[in-house]
Parts: sequence; C-alpha cells; structure tokens
Amino acid sequence: MMTTAQTLSAIDRDRFSDGRTTRSWYDEFMGTPDAIERISQLLDSDMSKTSNTSMRIPTALREAAALAAKELKAAPSATALTTMALRSALEAAVMRAALDEHYAQYPEARPDLADIAIATAELDGNPLAADPDRIRRAAAEITAAHPQPEPEDVLLWAEARAFPS
Amino acid sequence: MTRLVVLDNEAVQALASPRHPKHQRVLGYMEAVERRKRHAAAISLLVPAAVRVEAGWDRTAAQWAFLNRLRIMDVSLDAAHANTAAAIHEQARVSVADAHVGATVQLAPNADIAVITSDPGDIRRVAGDRTVTVVAI
Repeated sequence: MMTTAQTLSAIDRDRFSDGRTTRSWYDEFMGTPDAIERISQLLDSDMSKTSNTSMRIPTALREAAALAAKELKAAPSATALTTMALRSALEAAVMRAALDEHYAQYPEARPDLADIAIATAELDGNPLAADPDRIRRAAAEITAAHPQPEPEDVLLWAEARAFPS
Repeated sequence: MTRLVVLDNEAVQALASPRHPKHQRVLGYMEAVERRKRHAAAISLLVPAAVRVEAGWDRTAAQWAFLNRLRIMDVSLDAAHANTAAAIHEQARVSVADAHVGATVQLAPNADIAVITSDPGDIRRVAGDRTVTVVAI
C-alpha cells in the first residue's frame, strides 16, 4: 500500500502542465476525424451508466439550473438539464466538424446564408418558406449591413420588411 | 417540445452524394439543425431503418462515413413500427420505406415533426392524423 507521501509524489509525477492529475486515453495524438468518430461512439453508447464527476461548474449556474428544473420544469432535475445541454452542445460540435470537413473537400457544396435561412423556414413551417426570393433579398440586405448575420436574423428582416413603414 | 426531422430515401441519397443536384439543399437542413443544437434546442435527425435499407446506407461502409457523423439516429423497425408500417403499406399503397416513415411519424411521442421528402403527397397520406411539416425537395 502506498503512503500518503508516495501517493502525492505519484500524483506530482503525473501532473500535467494544465494542472490535471490523471492521464486519459486521448492524450495520445488524435486527429479530427478520429475524435468525431470517438465522440459519436460515446454519444451513442449506454447512457444509463453514470459517474460522479469532479467537473467544476459555477455555483450560480448550478443554482440557476436547480431552480429552472424545479420551478420552470425545464427538465426533471438539474443534472438532467445539464446532461441535455451538454449532449446538445457535443452533437452540434460533431456535426459542425463533420460539415466543415465535408466543405473542405467539396467547397461548392456549402450552402450560403440565404440557403440556410430558407431551410430553417421550411423546417419550421414558416410561411416565408413559400417566398424564397424574399428571403434571398433579405439575406443580401442584411449581409451588407451586418458582419455575421444568422439565418434567424434573415427571417426576422424578411418579415419586418413586409410591414409598411 | 422536441423537434424531429425525418429523412426519406431521396433526402438520404441527396445528402450522401456531392454530385446529387439536391446535395447543397439538404446540407442547408443539416446546417439549420446544427444551429438549433448549438443553441441547446431539443432537435433530432431521424432515419427510419427501412429508408436506410432502401438507400443502401450501411453504417459500416466507408462511403457512408459523412452521414454517420451527422448524428442521424436510426428508427428501428420494431414490432410496433412494423405493425403500423404494415397497415400503412396496405392502405396507402406506398413503398415499405415510406410506410416506415409514416409509422415513425404516427408513433412519435409528443413532438413537432418535419419530414424532408421528394414525395410530399405520399408523406401527407402516411402521416395519418398527425400534424407534420412536409419539406419537399
């Protein structure tokens, strides 16, 4: 059995420059495609197994999550709310990486802002979807006025333009 | 409420091939879903198993790697889906794949559902009483 001093010494030997004290399988070099693959596998694996984590989150955020779960019924529990948000963020990150990798190979396939705004309107059943030219005009106008507009900005602008001034 | 986006065979084919004339358009839907996920919206992409069969989408084959990475979940053809799909197939005279799309729509729990399809008429028929946003490609 190791003494406390030996344990601390072992931790010290394993301490990484960023302060972590444990090694992970991903400390070996892993490229983007492999990381996407592995994250996808992990997201698809059995989520009934849980583990306590030493992950530190801001106290205020934890309290806000607990309140949102209890009073706003945003999720069955603060843990469930955190898990849902984390899963969503990880899935978005995987999709983003996969799409960007695809566009690197096929740059002409990348949809532009207007394409994505039209797609968003169609998926939402937004009546604007019936007038894609209007959405394209709104996208052109908003791109000229704002540096990095989102598809939702385009749809909002397209709707706003329909009101008489 | 959870949002479900279901792909039919043509949507899968379009997404899989950069040479497909609707490739860029279907990528637009993927972009829209990715943005929603980034903003923590409850949204999922689904492919019914029978659609995957019709499209030839083998998740173990290298040529499908791109689609595998887009977080498109399988809807298995379990007993409940098979029963509902069989009834739809019989009544609506649609393909097995479209019947499974219909079963996916009809058996989905409380959710907003959109189906990306090249055959909006068939999808409206197989959706039964469920309200569904049909996105025609």
